[in-house]
Amino acid sequence: MADNNQKDPEPKVGVYICHCGGNISDHVDVAKVAQEAEKLTGVSVAHTNMFMCSDPGQELIQKDIKDGKINRVVVASCAPSLHELTFRSAIKRAGMNPYLYDHANIREQDSWVHHGDPATEKAVALVAAAVSKARHLEPLEPIRVDARNHATVIGGGVAGLRAALDLSRRGIQVALVEKSPFLGGRVAHLNRVNPTGEKAADLIRPLAEAVCNDAGIQVYTCSRVVRFEGYVGNFKLGLKRQPPETPEDLAKLEKWAESGKKEGDYLPFAGYYPQKVPNTAEETEISTGAIVFATGFKTYEPRKGEFGFQENPEVIPLPAFIEAVAKEKPKGGTLTLNGRPIRRVAFIHCVGSRQIPGLHEPDDQGNLNEYCSRTCCSATLQAAIEIREAFPETRVLEYYRDIRTYGRGQEDQYERAADHHVLFFRYEPEAPPVVERAAGGTYPLTVTVKDTLTFGETVEAGVDLVVLAVGMEPNPIQDLIEMMKLPVGADRFLQEVHPKLRPVELANTGILLAGTCQAPMDMGEACNAAQAAAVKAATLLSKGYVELDPFVAKVNEEKCTGTGACVSACPVEAITLKEAEHQGKKIQRARVNPALCTGCGICVAECPNNAIDVMGWTLKQYEEMVDAIVAA
Amino acid sequence: MQTHREMNFDALVVGGGIAGLQAALDLADQNFKVAVVEKDASIGGKMIRLSKVFPTLDCASCITTPKMAASAHHENITLFTYCDLKSISRESDTVLAARVVQKPRYVEADKCIGCRQCEYGCPVHVPDPEQGNFSMRKAIYIPFSNAIPQIALMDVENCSLCGKCAKVCPTGAVNYFQQPEELVIRAKTAVLATGFRLTPLDQKPEYGKGKILNVISSLDMERLLAPHGPYQRVLRPSDGKEPDAIAYVQCAGSRDKTLGVSYCSRVCCMYAIKQAMLLSGALPLADITIYYMDIRAFGKGYEQFFQNAKAMGIEFVKAKIAKIEQADNQSVRLRYEDQEGAGAVMEREHDLVVLSLGMVPEWHPEGICPVGCDTDAFIRTPMSRLSPTLTDMEGVFVAGVAAGPKDIVDTIAEAGAAAMEASNYLNKLNKKAAA
Ligand SMILES: Cc1cc2nc3c(=O)[nH]c(=O)nc-3n(C[C@H](O)[C@H](O)[C@H](O)COP(=O)(O)OP(=O)(O)OC[C@H]3O[C@@H](n4cnc5c(N)ncnc54)[C@H](O)[C@@H]3O)c2cc1C
Ligand SMILES: Cc1cc2nc3c(=O)[nH]c(=O)nc-3n(C[C@H](O)[C@H](O)[C@H](O)COP(=O)(O)OP(=O)(O)OC[C@H]3O[C@@H](n4cnc5c(N)ncnc54)[C@H](O)[C@@H]3O)c2cc1C
Ligand code: SF4
Repeated sequence: MADNNQKDPEPKVGVYICHCGGNISDHVDVAKVAQEAEKLTGVSVAHTNMFMCSDPGQELIQKDIKDGKINRVVVASCAPSLHELTFRSAIKRAGMNPYLYDHANIREQDSWVHHGDPATEKAVALVAAAVSKARHLEPLEPIRVDARNHATVIGGGVAGLRAALDLSRRGIQVALVEKSPFLGGRVAHLNRVNPTGEKAADLIRPLAEAVCNDAGIQVYTCSRVVRFEGYVGNFKLGLKRQPPETPEDLAKLEKWAESGKKEGDYLPFAGYYPQKVPNTAEETEISTGAIVFATGFKTYEPRKGEFGFQENPEVIPLPAFIEAVAKEKPKGGTLTLNGRPIRRVAFIHCVGSRQIPGLHEPDDQGNLNEYCSRTCCSATLQAAIEIREAFPETRVLEYYRDIRTYGRGQEDQYERAADHHVLFFRYEPEAPPVVERAAGGTYPLTVTVKDTLTFGETVEAGVDLVVLAVGMEPNPIQDLIEMMKLPVGADRFLQEVHPKLRPVELANTGILLAGTCQAPMDMGEACNAAQAAAVKAATLLSKGYVELDPFVAKVNEEKCTGTGACVSACPVEAITLKEAEHQGKKIQRARVNPALCTGCGICVAECPNNAIDVMGWTLKQYEEMVDAIVAA
Repeated sequence: MQTHREMNFDALVVGGGIAGLQAALDLADQNFKVAVVEKDASIGGKMIRLSKVFPTLDCASCITTPKMAASAHHENITLFTYCDLKSISRESDTVLAARVVQKPRYVEADKCIGCRQCEYGCPVHVPDPEQGNFSMRKAIYIPFSNAIPQIALMDVENCSLCGKCAKVCPTGAVNYFQQPEELVIRAKTAVLATGFRLTPLDQKPEYGKGKILNVISSLDMERLLAPHGPYQRVLRPSDGKEPDAIAYVQCAGSRDKTLGVSYCSRVCCMYAIKQAMLLSGALPLADITIYYMDIRAFGKGYEQFFQNAKAMGIEFVKAKIAKIEQADNQSVRLRYEDQEGAGAVMEREHDLVVLSLGMVPEWHPEGICPVGCDTDAFIRTPMSRLSPTLTDMEGVFVAGVAAGPKDIVDTIAEAGAAAMEASNYLNKLNKKAAA
């Protein structure tokens, strides 16, 4: 970077204070903050602006840099997570080192929680601290690490298949790791998909075929990731491929054997079977540049007794119903399942979803699924319509809280269901429908509900079958979450950095999110997420290298005596002791791998000699900040 | 036309809303050259005009401006704002050509420095549509404070030709004789991200055809709630009174065949809940009621958002509003059948009523671009389950509300998906060319 300012011995700090359109200035007297800032040692200019992040705001900074008025920048605005990057790149474009910048958060940490004079006083103190730190900043350069042109997708459902195919088409080598012997995930367990009415088989088979025939994709079924190390661009994963053992996998393999199909074929309600299952366990290692999570969901398992589940054989979850009906030939008349005519079927919505603390019972681990599972309303309507069309004598009753047919084409389905005389009852979460064994009579079960559509009337209906529209829960991937230290939300799904700014990225650089491991989604939404994750991975890997922020630990070799305290303290094993020669003697010195270091600073606290510091956040800088706050 | 320019890019993005910008960034970051064509004088779409956004309640400006600035400063992105798209057609197997007219701003873009001297000098005041027409702007103006680009434009309909702006402009940028310019933009692939507009306020006779005082649209309410809004606080427009009772009428333009909008607009439940929450912050004593058919809080964290709103005391009434009428003191009377009570016909008055209007496409391709639309008038996506951004025109992809209503989170994911499809399409063409 051609730049004279940096070597300027005298720090000249520019302070820029944002109104945030009122978010800050309604509570903080920004003019006063600017006035106070101007009095601070080293401050050359202090400006305010309605939106510092807007173009005019950024230009204010750039002009002062170009005019030689400043060589350090402090912006006082929202949380740095929102705009630190925005301002760094503005500074860089003006020809200054982007790390000669500090950020004071006077919104989240001030105007949103304090009001009046205390808010202004706190802003003054935060700005003073940032200025003191800025005066002691030194220019830094980003860390550049080589990136392998290879990505690993974990999970072979529709999202994983989609991501793998797109990555490979973009010229990136792909490993697709699926724990079961089959590809296709939950979609392979559907018959027709809403709202298009296409056969799941007609969608999954060609997609899986395209993946398996793609020379750039290595598919590993029956495999799990058992080891993880490295960093973005250079991850190392240990894969374990082993004979299937879960009852679900074994049952599907049995079905497969009965079907007489060969590898490279698809069986409804099992999936696409790309390769033989292994007879013995084997381990391999892959080196990869980025990881895409596509581990999907499992359906909620109702508790015993929940809507009569497991107490009555006539109460089944929706996926089991879909599979059972798919086997029946549409022949008009009444649906029969296992030889039993189903004259009336009741669907109960929101089972295991939209749970309310105090009303619903948490599971064994104390979890409540407070979220909506998004897909069950339309999946239920899809099933209802299919039955009414194929078996017109079978009546369908739906018990719901809100009908959430939000997606394109879904509202039409809701109407179609009504046109097909599906009967709707609406219940409040406080008074859910009650499923009981009928005491004699024509139907084995009765469903009783306080129906708000008929102004709170209690309606009792006899039915042959109750189907529970079970919600989604994240697949159990605790092993991976712990191994890779992944963030999860209160809903137990993987948690993105920010739903709008970085919706498919995890805080772990180089690890991306695709599909229902992040939240409930339908197929289209899962594919959108998968492609969005793929494009991020492609961007990350396409240059052949990755640039990381230089906020990492650095050893002062003069002071280091090789105690190794930092080595054992580092939680990510980023520090090693290396041999060196000093005045003819062999000595040991700490050495940091900057690509692994997360800049957490634990080593700084552990070192008995103050020989290690985090760049951009040095002890000296902290001391200056504390002094400034005390003085303010 | 005065001039004619021709330019080549890898990708053309139509629409500079959040969908278009995200798609452009995802393409440009992979080193593809991108042209963004936007009809308005600023990029940013609807999102930059919102107050705060669900589910995180971040201020909309704070999330949109970084993406706007990043696009504007990206070395691989060229912005064409204030442009009329005349046609997009296929010129050859590998080339799409867009004919675009750069409308005259009557201010020369390369001279304007955005200092606003013309705006300050202009003596003409006209209602500002950017502020729901609640406050005034000048006849020469910068669209809004965080607009990109910061170039003034003249509203010739209202200009009195007094010449003051030309006199005060320090760079001599005002040009009363500026002519439209014709551009031909060639690209190998295109992403359509033309977004939506609200269903009209005056559409429904039962809802007073837009004639009732203090019945406003949801986008108007976004402006009233925005920190840099027209009044800097929430006042009802007819008399400047601080409203004590505010009501939301859900599905006011959606799920209604009589309006030709039989679909669900997908965001109105959530934006009404969001606005209700923001209102209870701005007017802690006000009663807020949401009249609804189904609450569709389906996204990540949305149901919890809805439950929080209930816990905050926002009243949710299950009812389809049958009629809206003017009541005394400029209040608004709502008539509905009470579903939770005995089913009687109820009447209630509110100081201010917000119609949660639905979404219809902003752009209709007929006669401009041979891409197909569905019965809902949004662009058709024939492979919605596996490749949701594919259209029926090869090499042309769609993202955001142009492909059906959706919120910002879903729009941004879809924009990434469209960029993935477009880059793989470019890859395929480039490979063919190399072979
Ligand atoms: C009853 C029901 C009906 C539905 N109907 C429709 C419909 O009609 N239309 C529609 O669009 N959507 C429908 N959906 C939603 C649809 O099923 C999902 O959108 C889709 O399955 C999401 O795909 P995914 O790849 O994210 O997850 P999944 O399909 O769950 O795939 C995840 C894959 O990852 C694998 N995996 C998990 N953990 C690991 C691990 N540790 N290592 C390796 N592999 C792992 C799993 O074995 C699985 O193959 C329905 C859902 C349900 C429950
Ligand atoms: C009142 C209200 C409140 C909302 N609140 C929220 C919220 O809190 N959170 C949330 O997630 N979502 C919210 N939304 C939804 C959000 O506005 C949309 O999801 C988002 O704006 C969609 O972005 P888009 O880019 O697809 O469309 P738009 O924002 O409509 O952008 C489309 C762009 O294309 C341009 N354009 C159109 N036609 C042409 C053409 N022919 N040539 C050139 N350019 C063209 C337009 O001028 C515009 O700039 C809200 C919506 C409304 C109505
Ligand atoms: S999609 Fe429907 S059934 Fe599923 S949780 Fe949401 S509201 Fe309940």
